[in-house]
Amino acid sequence: MLSILDFIWVLIIGLIVLAFIAVSAMFLIWWERKVSAHIQSRLGPMRVGWHGVLQSVADTIKLLLKENIIPAGADKMIWWLAPFFAVVPPVMAFVVIPFGKNLIVKDLNVGILYIMAISSVCVLGIFMAGWGSNNKYSLLGGMRSAAQIISYELPLILSMIIVSMQANSLSMQKIVAAQSGHWNILHPNMMLAFIVYIISATAEVNRVPFDIPEAESELVAGFHTEYSGMKFAMFFIGEYTNLFLISAIATTLFFGGWLGPILPPVIWFLIKTYGIVSILMWVRWTFPRLRVDQLMGFAWKVLTPVSFFNLAITGWLLLK
Amino acid sequence: MVVIKMIKHTKNFVIGTLSLIKGLAVTMKYVFRPAVTLQYPTEKQPMSERFRGLVGLHPEKCIVCLQCMKMCPTACLAITHKQEDKKKTLETFKYNMELCCFCGLCAQVCPTGAIIMTDIYEISVYDRKKLDINLLNVKKYDEWTHTTVK
Amino acid sequence: MDTTRTKDIYTEEFLINMGPQHPSTHGVLSLELKLDGEIIRECTPHIGYLHRSMEKIAENRTYTQFIPFTDRIDYVASMNNNLGYVMAVEKLLNLEVSERAKYIRVIVAELNRIASHLIAVGTFAQDLGAFATPLFYCFREREKIIDIFDQICGNRLTYNYIRIGGVQFDLPRGIDEKIKEFVNYMRPKVDDYDNLLTYNTIFLARSKNIGVLPKDLAINYSVTGPSLRASGVKWDLRKDEPYLVYNKFEFDIPVGENGDSWDRYKIRIEEIRQSLRIVEQAIDALPGGEPTVKVGRIHKPAPSEAYFRTENPRGELGFYIVSDGSMYPYRLKIRAPSFSNLAVLPELVKGVKVADIVCVLGSFDVLMGEIDR
Repeated sequence: MLSILDFIWVLIIGLIVLAFIAVSAMFLIWWERKVSAHIQSRLGPMRVGWHGVLQSVADTIKLLLKENIIPAGADKMIWWLAPFFAVVPPVMAFVVIPFGKNLIVKDLNVGILYIMAISSVCVLGIFMAGWGSNNKYSLLGGMRSAAQIISYELPLILSMIIVSMQANSLSMQKIVAAQSGHWNILHPNMMLAFIVYIISATAEVNRVPFDIPEAESELVAGFHTEYSGMKFAMFFIGEYTNLFLISAIATTLFFGGWLGPILPPVIWFLIKTYGIVSILMWVRWTFPRLRVDQLMGFAWKVLTPVSFFNLAITGWLLLK
Repeated sequence: MVVIKMIKHTKNFVIGTLSLIKGLAVTMKYVFRPAVTLQYPTEKQPMSERFRGLVGLHPEKCIVCLQCMKMCPTACLAITHKQEDKKKTLETFKYNMELCCFCGLCAQVCPTGAIIMTDIYEISVYDRKKLDINLLNVKKYDEWTHTTVK
Repeated sequence: MDTTRTKDIYTEEFLINMGPQHPSTHGVLSLELKLDGEIIRECTPHIGYLHRSMEKIAENRTYTQFIPFTDRIDYVASMNNNLGYVMAVEKLLNLEVSERAKYIRVIVAELNRIASHLIAVGTFAQDLGAFATPLFYCFREREKIIDIFDQICGNRLTYNYIRIGGVQFDLPRGIDEKIKEFVNYMRPKVDDYDNLLTYNTIFLARSKNIGVLPKDLAINYSVTGPSLRASGVKWDLRKDEPYLVYNKFEFDIPVGENGDSWDRYKIRIEEIRQSLRIVEQAIDALPGGEPTVKVGRIHKPAPSEAYFRTENPRGELGFYIVSDGSMYPYRLKIRAPSFSNLAVLPELVKGVKVADIVCVLGSFDVLMGEIDR
């Protein structure tokens, strides 16, 4: 039976998490523009604020003021709901991310299972956007994305299971605590699991080299062609939140979460997470993208057998 | 047989991964080098001395031979003159910036160097009628280009 | 529309228009595709969106006045167009130019070949998904070439430099150091492109064995340029019918083996290297003298006809001029290389996926300004 105090406490926690996500997404958009600019021998945003820090704020204001265009013949309910399915699941997964020793919203004892379940819902948003737009290009984007995300679920889950086997628990805080001697990445089977995880996670959030759904040069803008203004901003924020989420999970599972000497735990967590985010951005601005059938072939013929093999090896090592 | 295939696959895999890492190294190299872009409009690149910008006129040097008008491929110059017993003077020298293709043929063919190519390249206007100007009216000409004809 | 009915479900082919405005059709080209899921069954290109009736305009312009128009046929390799037209007119007039003018023309044409191939490489990488990085690198190199051209002739894109009887001005003082500096700067950058793109696994997987153009099909469709050389035919007008002073320089002609998109891309990278060799040799051997022969402003050639072909970065560019004795040509016909190169596209894309059509189109490096004129 929730008392009023509990209710207010829940509301405050929720607002704090939402505020962090909003600021983080805006910061990530600026960071991506700066990283891409320096890779390409140019400077990026420089005018709004010191070195363009407030550029995301300016962009958000611009997107809020844009006209809301509904395509003719679109399936209104599905088209209108799609951005929510792109933003809400990543935000929900933030409930179990450990930011520090006691800085976690709720340490569910099925943390990893919860994350896997929630992230599978993301595909619905893309699919609904593709269908509801009444546009051949968007439909192609939606179909491709559904196929891609479903294929890469399996290696993702298998590599996360390896970590929970090692730590003997599904709860995120217990996995971090199990790494207090040495980080998980230092074991060779964990290194393999990390590589499989990071490749599958990049495919799950539709980033290059797996960004077929929004393949700019073939399908103009893929499944979010018909969105303008705040709805487009929601897709964008959803993508960057997802990016932060998978880096946070990678940090927790493989790099020791918030563990580290001297500095406070939150700082360590943020440093590690943004490090992985920067590496993903570096990869994005270097490689071309894979074709749909090559992508699926890679998932089913390479990643899934490797993850099963890794699972067997981990099991054998644990039984020894 | 299977072993040979496995070895071949592993070799391909290793070569493939190395190529990816080489690509990443190239990209990382340029992060630490200075940028090559200029922040326009606060920093502008100076134009070379032969730059073919907007057409300019020194009316005192013009002998009204009309060669520039005949040479222009797009017919953007329209010159009228007054004749007073063997001495021609310019009346109007209209220049349509919309049609000009900045080829430099008029400046090349002028015998006295009266018509020249300046280095003005920022020539956007809000009103199309402003594109048809009279080069003899120099003051009106530089009220919107912000530079003077040398 | 082909519909097949089985017992309960029926499938239809999907007509999609990769319309005139599309990020990767290299200009205003409209491709009508009949798709079956992701596989293409038929492709029909529609051209003509950029038609500016240049050949008709030429009938009312003198020979010198038409040179700015030739700049705009292939706006990326402007010097080569000027060169082709001016050499055709000089063949009509039986005019010989000085040695210095020939060397300057070769230097300028080869630098422009490098600039054009840089755009081809950059946009090909962008079409395949390496979103902006190779493109920005290529444009950074191209900026140096355009700066050199800016100092030579005063313009950055449409040069109007090569004239009947020679070139417009002599090279400015100090330009040969700048060109040598550019050649030394460019060589390591081409190795950078090799490391970043050419042998990258993902790039190879996307472009190897895609859009294979067999030798006899290429010759039947009169494909020329790097696309022909990628299919195994060793034909380059600079070696087989040398014009200007190309027979005095030492350079190789890269020839491909398979005729797929990767070969066409690789040959362009190799041609950049060979062009750098030519520029280096030409700058070292530049003779003194006058850059122009004295000719009048208005030319009135005798009633005859002339056809001259040069090696454009995209293929064989030919100008056919018929004159009737007056100062305007009677008929001017431009043989554009991209027109024939594009015609072979519908044959190559039957049975490939949608992502590959972008790859094949990008590897042919067509330019709509040439096709529509």
